[in-house]
Amino acid sequence: MTPPSPADARAAAVELRGIAKRFPGTLANDAVDLTVRRGEIHALMGENGAGKSTLMSVLYGMVRPDAGSVRVDGREVAFADPGDALAAGLGMVHQSFKLFDSLTVAENVVYAAEPRRFGLVDRGAARRRVRELAEEHGLAVDPDARVGDLPVGLRQRVEILKLLHRGARTLILDEPTAVLTPTEADALFAVLKSLAAQGRSVILVTHKLREVLEGSDRVTVLRDGRVVAGLVTAETSAAEIAAAMTGRAVELDRVHAPGTPGDVILDVTDLATDGVRDVRLTVRAGEIVGIAGVAGNGQSELVEALAGLRPVSAGRVALLGDDITHASATERRAKGLAYVPEDRHAVGTATAASVADNLAMGHHRTSLSSRGLLAPAAVRGHARRLIERFGIKAASPEVSASSLSGGNLQKLLIGRELAHDASLLLVEQPTRGVDIGAVRNIHDQLIAYRDAGHAVLLVSAELSEIRGLADRVLVMYEGRVTASYEKAAADERTLGLAMAGGGAGSPAAPSPVEVGD
Amino acid sequence: MNHITRTVRSPVAFSVLAGVVIGALFLVGTGADPVAAYGAVLGGSLGADGIGATLTTLTSVLGLALALAVPLRAGLINLGGDGQLVLGGMAAAVTGLYCPLPAPLTVVLALLAGMAAGAGYAALAALCENRFGVPLLVSSLLLSYPAASFASWLARYPLKEPGSSLPQTRQLPDGVALPRFGSSTVTVGLLLVVLAAAAYWFTDRRTAFGYEMRMTGLSSRFAAYAGVERGGLALRLMAVSGALAGLVGAIGVLSFPYRFLDGSLTASGYTWTGLTAALLAGAAPVGTVLASFFFAVLQVGGLSMERTTEVPRELTQVLQAIVIVFLAARLRFPRSPGLTRLFRGRDTEQTPQTPQSPQSPESPQGELA
Amino acid sequence: MFFDSDLLMSALRALTPILLAALGGAICERAGVFNIGLDGMMLMGCFTAVATSWFTGSPWLGVLAAALVSAAYSLILAVGAVTLRGDAVVLGIALNLLAVGLTSFLLRTVFGVQGTFDDPSLAGLPLVGGFSPLAYLAWAAVGVAALTLSRHVWGLRLRGVGEASDAAATLGVSPVRYQYGAVLVSGVLCGLAGAQLALGNVTLFSENMTAGRGWIAVVAVMLGRALPLGVLLAALLFGLAEAAGFRLQGLDLPQQATDAAPYVVTLGALFLTTARRRRRTPSPAPARPSPPPSSPSTSTSTSAGAVS
Repeated sequence: MTPPSPADARAAAVELRGIAKRFPGTLANDAVDLTVRRGEIHALMGENGAGKSTLMSVLYGMVRPDAGSVRVDGREVAFADPGDALAAGLGMVHQSFKLFDSLTVAENVVYAAEPRRFGLVDRGAARRRVRELAEEHGLAVDPDARVGDLPVGLRQRVEILKLLHRGARTLILDEPTAVLTPTEADALFAVLKSLAAQGRSVILVTHKLREVLEGSDRVTVLRDGRVVAGLVTAETSAAEIAAAMTGRAVELDRVHAPGTPGDVILDVTDLATDGVRDVRLTVRAGEIVGIAGVAGNGQSELVEALAGLRPVSAGRVALLGDDITHASATERRAKGLAYVPEDRHAVGTATAASVADNLAMGHHRTSLSSRGLLAPAAVRGHARRLIERFGIKAASPEVSASSLSGGNLQKLLIGRELAHDASLLLVEQPTRGVDIGAVRNIHDQLIAYRDAGHAVLLVSAELSEIRGLADRVLVMYEGRVTASYEKAAADERTLGLAMAGGGAGSPAAPSPVEVGD
Repeated sequence: MNHITRTVRSPVAFSVLAGVVIGALFLVGTGADPVAAYGAVLGGSLGADGIGATLTTLTSVLGLALALAVPLRAGLINLGGDGQLVLGGMAAAVTGLYCPLPAPLTVVLALLAGMAAGAGYAALAALCENRFGVPLLVSSLLLSYPAASFASWLARYPLKEPGSSLPQTRQLPDGVALPRFGSSTVTVGLLLVVLAAAAYWFTDRRTAFGYEMRMTGLSSRFAAYAGVERGGLALRLMAVSGALAGLVGAIGVLSFPYRFLDGSLTASGYTWTGLTAALLAGAAPVGTVLASFFFAVLQVGGLSMERTTEVPRELTQVLQAIVIVFLAARLRFPRSPGLTRLFRGRDTEQTPQTPQSPQSPESPQGELA
Repeated sequence: MFFDSDLLMSALRALTPILLAALGGAICERAGVFNIGLDGMMLMGCFTAVATSWFTGSPWLGVLAAALVSAAYSLILAVGAVTLRGDAVVLGIALNLLAVGLTSFLLRTVFGVQGTFDDPSLAGLPLVGGFSPLAYLAWAAVGVAALTLSRHVWGLRLRGVGEASDAAATLGVSPVRYQYGAVLVSGVLCGLAGAQLALGNVTLFSENMTAGRGWIAVVAVMLGRALPLGVLLAALLFGLAEAAGFRLQGLDLPQQATDAAPYVVTLGALFLTTARRRRRTPSPAPARPSPPPSSPSTSTSTSAGAVS
């Protein structure tokens, strides 16, 4: 696919006009116009719920708009499915990768566009093609490696190679740096810039201000389904963009007052589990310890091991002085542990059950039953109390949890776990996919929980959340805790560096740091 | 949410109707009159002559349906019902034949022995899953065959009735039998099974254990995360399941002809009938009773249908299976404004996704009680 | 000599129906459809083969009809599980039950007998070199399946569909099409298995004559990890156990012990393979998606939740 000549660099690669899309109960896109020029890196910004995903779904043929038109290279198109979009030269890298883990890189890249020989896949040609593309665009990766074994940064490269193999002229990247270290993100942007220089266009769907300012040419901001700003990056500022996204002058990074730590509640020594080793940390009563780090560096595994959902291969975990290293999840909860998991739909709740049943879990053998017999009135009362206390918007306690919105389901989950009044609360990604009003509420609840004398271990991919809530911040990198900072010292640059594996400016492999008091 | 509209539009109602309609088509295809045939089914099973047979059949069907429903409620499938049934019957026969205690005590012991044998064997299948990772679906099924073979061998060799050409044990001593109701074939076994159903209902709805059972069925990952010990739960549920299947076997042996006859317990295929009843009801307690009754009616009615219309009784089996096919596909009546207006309800449809996980299918929670 | 060529031969003879059915099951599994209705599809094949051979006098037409009818029957699973997203396990069980009832019903209405239809003038399949032609076909099918899955374009796409159907869909490969195809292929193979059973070694139809072979095929798929060659080995294991069982009968062991032997052997094999797999992968913790899943991200769209 030959890239277009510089002469039509100003021409529109993709044009969306007047896109409208309504879902039951909400107008996701309202008369949205978006023009992306050739050779341009265009950032599409907005908060959760602003309409970015819907707009891209329309562009990519996954959703039909109620009104409006889509033009690619000047021609009006109507995609029936992503296959059509691909054929027209559009390519999307989704936030959760669409890769086949058990197949090789080459097989993933050429899937559904295979070089053939007599009906069989020409493996040699596939390998050659991957190598050519990798070299041309600076995306080195081994064609014969099994994709499931690759680290996240390389998996993303495979996704991009997939699109380039099909001659995509416009690439759409959805939150691409959510899973990358700052260094990997820089490398990605270098690739994107070179793609743009070749005349391709890039649409960057993101909410990360810094990257937008450093990497994009123009920015379109959505809010509540409408375009509220179309800016040229070089001529705008972080504050202006943030204000457009939220509609008000935003106090970026609200920081809460620190807690007053008391006794040690959680004591972890030399812990090892899958992909995690040599972890030492303590959490005291009345303190929030935050774990920062790019997703995939062992945070999830560590928390699961602490919660009793993953076996520990070495080390010791003590809760309130008792050794729980090999205790079951049941035993840990009985000792005083509560856990808000990352996956609220499949793990944290049973969406097919009623709200009341979901809220009862964990309490069903303690406060809601006597001698094994459940008291239905108690279950209902418990549900009503929690619904009110946490502002869960549900028609009644009897409705199915599947009818709750993501934010409300998260409130249900957090409410239930907080209600255990456990000495230790493990919480992962507490505000992912939650709207801004609810985020405030959840943060306030967590602070209140800490101030009531409990210990909280917080894992979050949002640096601002960690910096705002945590009294101490640990950084995990490649399965170990590599740095520890007091609240005052935990600024974004220092943390970013540590998250990327550097520390005190040194690129050498970090040694495990003694953390805790 | 209007209860009547919800029930009428439920997948269960649609499936049953589909089964009846397709059955009628088969009948027409073989030249019979559907109305007469279905009439014969109902008359033959619910009339004065047939109600006894229906209740006797119900004893086995409901017992086995409960045996399958209990683990199904937590998303576990026990396909080893036949093996547990047969072992239970054999244990009861052995106890009945050799226990020196007075007859009434022997009967009680025989029932308990049957339940214990079934429970133990079913627990074995659960152990296969817990310790060896062999899926319960497969382990329970595979274990079923050796159990049947073992019981068959016992009936044909060591315990065989001397002088008889049939593969059967000696007849149980006088008095070692379940009391009957009048001159019918219905025994006290029916009461036992109904009692079991009541116990199931109570446990499911009002105990913490029942709650854990239901939540595991709806989302096993959620239950595990929240501290419900899956292995222990599976073991206990399978033990109960096997005990119920063994109970049905014991009841069978303690009823006419008061002996263990190789193959007789499994000949009528009640294990599969019980499974379909449990599936139809989504393992819900009240629903399981209703579905069992429905299928017992079909089974007994099928015989009288054959007598009066010469349509083969296997048609009722076909009907049963078709109901389950439609239910599995989760079809339902489309929204009809007229129907809604008629009942003045506002439907809030929820369609919980059934994830396709082979190891432990999330239990299809039906809409009956 | 206990393990001699006769044992192998009789194992191979018993192998064919299970191998064909298991191959079908493996293809479905690779495409992401859990098919436990193999027994029912096989039984439909048995009946169709016998009925067609009886009415046309040709066993070959019987084979063809069995394949076609079982394929049509398998559509119930395809429509129910793929299009309507119903529970594949329940559908499979239902297919098994329906086949038993349906074939017994048809046995009565078409042939007017109960239990077994066994007419000496029923034409069976000829033997070639001591084996039924379908046996050779089965082995060839293993080779074709292995080659297609690993090297052919369709095989690659099918594997992708089974592994991550949404990923395949975004690249323009229709999961529905491939899953339907897999189910239909399994229907054809099960039909052939049924024809072999009813017209191969014996020539008769009796109620429920599959006697659980379809379930053994399901287990073979599990043992063989849904690989054509693995499935062949698993089926061979079962065949050998069964043949050895018959041998043991000659040595004065009761028939019941030898009846039970194959199932015990299979269970043992399952223990060994799953135990080994467990040791290699230490923890059965819930799988984590590596990039954090955003609630409704850029995937399919219609429900009320998909905003943003």
